[in-house]
Amino acid sequence: MSAAAASNLAPTAVQGARSSPHLLMPMTLLFLLLVIAVLRSPDLVTNAGLGSAVIVVAPLILATYALMSTVVAGRGTVDLAIGPLISFINVTLIQLVAADLLGSPIIVFAYAIAVGMAYQLVMALIVIFIRVQPIIVSLSGYLALSGINLVILPRPGGVAPEWMATWGAGTSVFSPVMAILILASVAWLLMTRTAFFTHLRLMGSDERAAYTSGIQITVVRIGAHLMCGFFAGLSAICFTALIGSGDPGQGTTYTLIAVTALVLGGASLGGGRASIAGSLIGAVDLYLITYVLSTFSFGGIQSFVTDLCYGAILVASLLLTLTLPFIQRHLRNFSSLLYFVALAIVALGVILHSTYHYEAVSAATQPAAGFLEIEALRGAALVEARDTRIWAFIGLLLLVLPVIARTLIVGAPRRGVGPVVYIVVLGLILLGVYVQTHGYSIDNMTHVDGKP
Amino acid sequence: MSAPIQPAPAGSLLARVIGLLIAVVLTAASAGLGVYQNLPAQQVIIYSAATLALSAWIWRFYVIQFAGDSAGEGGASELRRAWRRYRSGIIGFLVLLAVFIALSLTIDGFFNVWTVISALILLLIIILTMSVGRFMAENRSAFIGLMVLAGLFSVGSMNIDGFASATNVKSMLLFASFLGLASIGQTLVALVGGLDLSIPYVIGAANVGLLYLIGLSVPPWLAVVLIVLAGGVIGVINGILSLRLQGQALIVTLGAGFVVSGGTQIITSIGSAYSGNVFGTVPDWLTNLSSMSGSTFGLPFPPVVAIWAALALILVIGLRHTVHGRFLYALGINRTSADRLFISERGYWISIFGLSGMFSAITGCLLLGWSGGGFIGVGSQYLFMTLAAVVVGGTSLLGGVGGYGFTVIGVLVLQVLTSFLVGIGLKFEWQQFIFGILILPMVALYARSPHIRTQI
Repeated sequence: MSAAAASNLAPTAVQGARSSPHLLMPMTLLFLLLVIAVLRSPDLVTNAGLGSAVIVVAPLILATYALMSTVVAGRGTVDLAIGPLISFINVTLIQLVAADLLGSPIIVFAYAIAVGMAYQLVMALIVIFIRVQPIIVSLSGYLALSGINLVILPRPGGVAPEWMATWGAGTSVFSPVMAILILASVAWLLMTRTAFFTHLRLMGSDERAAYTSGIQITVVRIGAHLMCGFFAGLSAICFTALIGSGDPGQGTTYTLIAVTALVLGGASLGGGRASIAGSLIGAVDLYLITYVLSTFSFGGIQSFVTDLCYGAILVASLLLTLTLPFIQRHLRNFSSLLYFVALAIVALGVILHSTYHYEAVSAATQPAAGFLEIEALRGAALVEARDTRIWAFIGLLLLVLPVIARTLIVGAPRRGVGPVVYIVVLGLILLGVYVQTHGYSIDNMTHVDGKP
Repeated sequence: MSAPIQPAPAGSLLARVIGLLIAVVLTAASAGLGVYQNLPAQQVIIYSAATLALSAWIWRFYVIQFAGDSAGEGGASELRRAWRRYRSGIIGFLVLLAVFIALSLTIDGFFNVWTVISALILLLIIILTMSVGRFMAENRSAFIGLMVLAGLFSVGSMNIDGFASATNVKSMLLFASFLGLASIGQTLVALVGGLDLSIPYVIGAANVGLLYLIGLSVPPWLAVVLIVLAGGVIGVINGILSLRLQGQALIVTLGAGFVVSGGTQIITSIGSAYSGNVFGTVPDWLTNLSSMSGSTFGLPFPPVVAIWAALALILVIGLRHTVHGRFLYALGINRTSADRLFISERGYWISIFGLSGMFSAITGCLLLGWSGGGFIGVGSQYLFMTLAAVVVGGTSLLGGVGGYGFTVIGVLVLQVLTSFLVGIGLKFEWQQFIFGILILPMVALYARSPHIRTQI
């Protein structure tokens, strides 16, 4: 996941080293939480731990993407209805599957995406032609959809399609959900290379300027909403895979989390500024907050403490963004990508440290259900795998550190840094793949051996 | 056609004929329906006459307007021009008619005299808002809101037994006062261009906290004062935190809300075996203050309604006629020019949030009197309902336009609508659905922003 995030940063890094200080806060928070999470519960970095983390966080990330594409379009288009929309697709999907009207994966995907896009198209047309403030349209959609969800499915229940049953198991990082996530991220990245995205950003930051410079703002706005619907459909599929059934009541939670993740990731609710890396990191941050909090045990007041800390971290991290101008002034050549890589190396070190000392697999602390209803994290013992992994990590670190040090010293202000960083990131990805495939075989072996 | 200066009697003759034809067709359809449903002949005749008269009148209304205005235009034929000019009205009318006919066909017993009268009233409201509302620049939303309110109330009292009874009106006013008190903060915050999502959490925390303090044998009046002060302090903290993060005020207040609600529950759980539950007896005067059976100086309505009315009056006058109120609007419209007038953005922003927290806490205390037991989630429905009330009333979320008087109308509209939907036997989820569907057209009647090409 970290690798994907890093490669997403590439376009901003090319444009200039000072381009995106907004990622500073979420990235710091990400690694801080990651380190705490790993120290508290090393199971997170096993194949199964990461797998279930991906399953839980994927719908959230996709919901944040969905929200992002309309927020960039300006006019304060914060789609409060995103959560109910996801819930709506989820419950209708479940009911249609139960009625045997939907079956094969292709049809289910097509259905989810089509419903999302159709809803968003209607919303876009209302915003454009009736010209009511988008937030009112979305409020209206929120109430209507949350109502109709309860009509369609009065209480949580139903069964997801059969082929989806294994998706939510979260035993491995390489799940179909991960594939959806990566494909969605790549799709967004490809989209940012098009003229459409430039127009979208221009429209978001100054609609009048966009109109006077001849941009078809109607078309662009419809496009932004269609993208939102597309991601909402994908998010609904991942959500269905996560819970394996239908749940009409998740609307408010998902809306609030998605807006929070977006703001935490440095997007401007006013429009024109949002990055996929920010959204991704923001969403993962929120997940990690609940994860870390769930590793502490407070007995009967667990959920209250979780609420308290969640809110406090949220407010604190937003307040810290106030220091950004200060940092920007004193740290002129700040590159968020380099910062990310540096922090990643520190975090990797901590991960190595903690996993190394837990060679005798301790009884994993079983995290309780938190804000995001974390599935029981099934930790598979990977004792043998650790040795090889650790050596591989150390080898890579030895390779990477001098390269980065040299890059930092020699070429920091220049654009020439780019390729080196790409190589490092690529190396990290390759290493991850290697370790995971290695882990896979061990994992399978222990499964065979470990059966009582 | 040949004399464009004239009001063109030839075209209006054609228009008249078409209008008459449409009216006759509609009347025939309605009469056929009546016969089909075996209604008494007198009723069928009455409906048919009403339909004929109304459709002919509406047609004439539009055609006269068109004939008066289009004297100098020329070019396309008059019918086409009339179509171009009034197409939204005509399409809307036809759609409404189609919906009405479809409903009459599908639902048994839908087609009776009260339904037809209700439909006519709704039509009248729409026509009035379209025609008269056009001339009201400033208070258009209030006018439309009042029209909707009157229409809903008359339709409700005709169709639902006991809708206009004293008990029902009392209960509507009671719930409206809770929503209205909770919306005070949201309105004020919206006037300076912010949003306060901490309101439901503060309401819940005040609700639980008050009962907890009473359970600790603090004198109830002191407990209420303490809770209201604490609400004010929370609001001020909200304001301080979000002052430099105004774009993200939404999230800052949400986070603060989580902290408040979590913190309250932790405090009340300490030393208690039942975490999350507090016990205590609500004093009688608090129950009297906000329960259905409460009385105000002997008059048979709960004092909370009077409190709300008094506060609304103070706020409306205060916003309109005091220097602080005018400064608030100035701040909402343009920060820079307000700054040039030495209006302190910081002072107003923080005190507005303080007021919002205070009124949320008051609502929480009053809700305790109504329910008699502490519950942290008591305010959760106010998360978006306060927003809806503000928006339906006509206060702009961008700041500077609107006022508390508008919100009062919004609250009443929402409350009467809820009561109406409950009255016709809809479940909660359908109510919410219809709410969502109806907010949009209500707001669209008066809060449309101008086209981008007019803003350059």
